[in-house]
Amino acid sequence: MKLTIKHQETYSRGELILRTLFGWIYIAIPHGFLLFFVGLWGSILSFISFWIVLFTARYPQSFFEFQVGYYRWALRFRARLNNVADGYPTFGIKGTDENTSLDIPYPEKLSRGLLILRLLFGLFYVMIPHGFILLFRSIAAGFVIFIAWWIVLFTGKYPKGMHDFVTGTIRWGTRVNLYMGFMTDTYPPFTGKEIE
Amino acid sequence: MNSEPSGYYPVPQPDEIGIREKEDAMGAYLMMFATLAVGLPLPIINLVAAFIYLYLNRKTSRFVHFHALQSLYSQIPVTLLNAGMIIWLIIILVNDFNFTSEFKGYTIMVGVANLIYFIFSLIAAAKARKGLFYYFIFFGRLAYHRAYMIHSGPKEVAVNKPPTL
Repeated sequence: MKLTIKHQETYSRGELILRTLFGWIYIAIPHGFLLFFVGLWGSILSFISFWIVLFTARYPQSFFEFQVGYYRWALRFRARLNNVADGYPTFGIKGTDENTSLDIPYPEKLSRGLLILRLLFGLFYVMIPHGFILLFRSIAAGFVIFIAWWIVLFTGKYPKGMHDFVTGTIRWGTRVNLYMGFMTDTYPPFTGKEIE
Repeated sequence: MNSEPSGYYPVPQPDEIGIREKEDAMGAYLMMFATLAVGLPLPIINLVAAFIYLYLNRKTSRFVHFHALQSLYSQIPVTLLNAGMIIWLIIILVNDFNFTSEFKGYTIMVGVANLIYFIFSLIAAAKARKGLFYYFIFFGRLAYHRAYMIHSGPKEVAVNKPPTL
């Protein structure tokens, strides 16, 4: 899995203020409304995929592509809400974006044993350890976003370290979601850094 | 306006159908689990999911279109029966908690209908995964007709006319 959010040379202060004041009207509500229904459909496909993987050891490719499209859309949306990317996020699961990218390789085969393991014990060996750390990391990311907001407002630049931290938090969460969504057999690492 | 049918497209053989199409066709029948996925006891969700699935896949291939249609058509009577049972149950719960013999009989009948639908849908899903056709009674023919019928002949051309004075 490769998730990137481009660190721009400069960030628009106008967009920052616009997003802060009216972002909920022109970004959060329209995208959130649609993403809710797309996510609902995604959860139906995910549930059905569980049974398909259980019997065939394959995640249906079109289902997989839909889920990837949904994750990409959610990433575009989240990057704007967290102020780590400028520009308006495109709508749709086939939308493209120059500031964010997410590549998830399609697994030709998935392990049925791991699938059952995740279903029965995923809470203990994935959700609790990762959730515990991600909870605190997300709180920290909230503070970072707040501080970065002021820095961008006065300097027009987003400090690279802060940008990497916020991006890393999103990346970490996405990895956990992919694993728990049966889209990969690779256990999510305890880091937000990009892994080759 | 649709033109008159003039035959049917040839039915593909299993080795002519790609794995992606086979999986998409199989997925159509598994929409019967949509209610479970969402966690709401509303039978209509299965029908809505089957309809959305058909809409998204109607142009994928005729094979997928056929299976998605058959899945949708076969869900309609089951959904109506389930909805009837839930409405009846709500009426009973709201009124007097009197579970009459008629209600019990209807519930058993709905249970049997769901079981039949469930078994045949799973068989159809397994067949679709192998690239095979599986025709349900009545619905199979209807879905085949809709997915494989060739529309030919002159199409009606829209003509603009002045308003009637």
